Amino acid sequence: MTTTALEHELKELIIETLELEDVTADDIDPQEPLFVEGLGLDSIDALELGLALQKRYGITLESDAESSRQHFANLKSLAALVEARRVK
Amino acid sequence: MTPASSNPHHWSRIRETGSAAGIRAMVWIRRRLGRLPFQIMLTLVIAYYYVAHGLHRRASHTYLKRLWQHRHGQPPRHLTWLSLRHFRSFGQSLMDKIDAWSGIPPNVRFDDESRRHFLDAVGSGRGGVMFVSHVGNMEICTAMSDLREDFRATLLMHTRNARQFDEVLARSTHRPHPPEIIEVSEITPSTAMTLGRRIAEGGFVVIAADRVPISDSGRARTLSFLDHPARFPEGPFWLASLLRCPVYTIGCFRDDDGYRVDFAPFDDTSALGRRERSAWLDAAMQRYVDWLTRQCETTPLQWFNFFPFWLDCDDAHPDGDSETTPPPR
Repeated sequence: MTTTALEHELKELIIETLELEDVTADDIDPQEPLFVEGLGLDSIDALELGLALQKRYGITLESDAESSRQHFANLKSLAALVEARRVK
Repeated sequence: MTPASSNPHHWSRIRETGSAAGIRAMVWIRRRLGRLPFQIMLTLVIAYYYVAHGLHRRASHTYLKRLWQHRHGQPPRHLTWLSLRHFRSFGQSLMDKIDAWSGIPPNVRFDDESRRHFLDAVGSGRGGVMFVSHVGNMEICTAMSDLREDFRATLLMHTRNARQFDEVLARSTHRPHPPEIIEVSEITPSTAMTLGRRIAEGGFVVIAADRVPISDSGRARTLSFLDHPARFPEGPFWLASLLRCPVYTIGCFRDDDGYRVDFAPFDDTSALGRRERSAWLDAAMQRYVDWLTRQCETTPLQWFNFFPFWLDCDDAHPDGDSETTPPPR
């Protein structure tokens, strides 16, 4: 299982944004859910992460809750989102 | 405690402003026949509401009794009369709303200090979050985008009722610079990202922080308001802290010849660390409630939360306390 450069960048962004002290990039499995299980992030963390992505990559999302959930499901889906929508 | 989602007396389940046909009729009267016939009609409608809508009437009575007790140490002497005036003042606010949305510029005045703060805020280009409440008329706040071209407001609304009112108004009226309205049932990352972009562009996000949205009852705190426990939403405060920007309070209050704007800096979350947030939230929510209390003391009849606001009032738990499961999150 290889990790792309973007995935690695996102791992660093998550750790830095959410100040996850005990987590290293290697601990984040790209396929594992980020929220509730997996990393155990909550809905506030999701907002924070969304804002960080917006700041760094200029990404926008559709407004429906379901697509947010899909994009934020795991690191892989997040990387796919950034890949497709980044403007910077 | 009764989850908000099953509570028929939760504010979002109470239809605030009557039927769409009724609103259209009132807009028609206002526009075609003028202010006086409209005022007469409005007084009749208000009197009808006072008699027919026990829930709103009891909510008004509870509020007035608690405010008077808080301010004067005793309940009001003429409660019915005072409550009728309270209803009338709500009717007046609806009329002003119709005017504002019709593009009739409201007569808005700032005192020197508020004006200075407002110009600084708009001029800084940093945008920000503005906390509002249902004391006074928040639509007037957003109508200020008509007054200053470079003041752009994005109004975050939770409500389904307001949509009905606003849709009717949007169809019946024409405004040159309508504020952007974002309607949400829950704040998702995409909402936060949209708001983040607005602020980055120097815009202002206007949020009412005195009502707990139905989908979000888990994230609310009980605080003492007018000496009784009431629920306040954490959402607006989380947003303000996450958006890392200047935060203000704004209120527009009716007086005899127009509106008085109260605008003040509230805080600045730009440098607020992740670990300080929880403590910030505690303090900020209490300061908001203190601000809300001052607004009620200054303009007692412009409290427009006509639903059981407190946890310990008569209509707060209409279906008993049988349900103990927390709402799904």
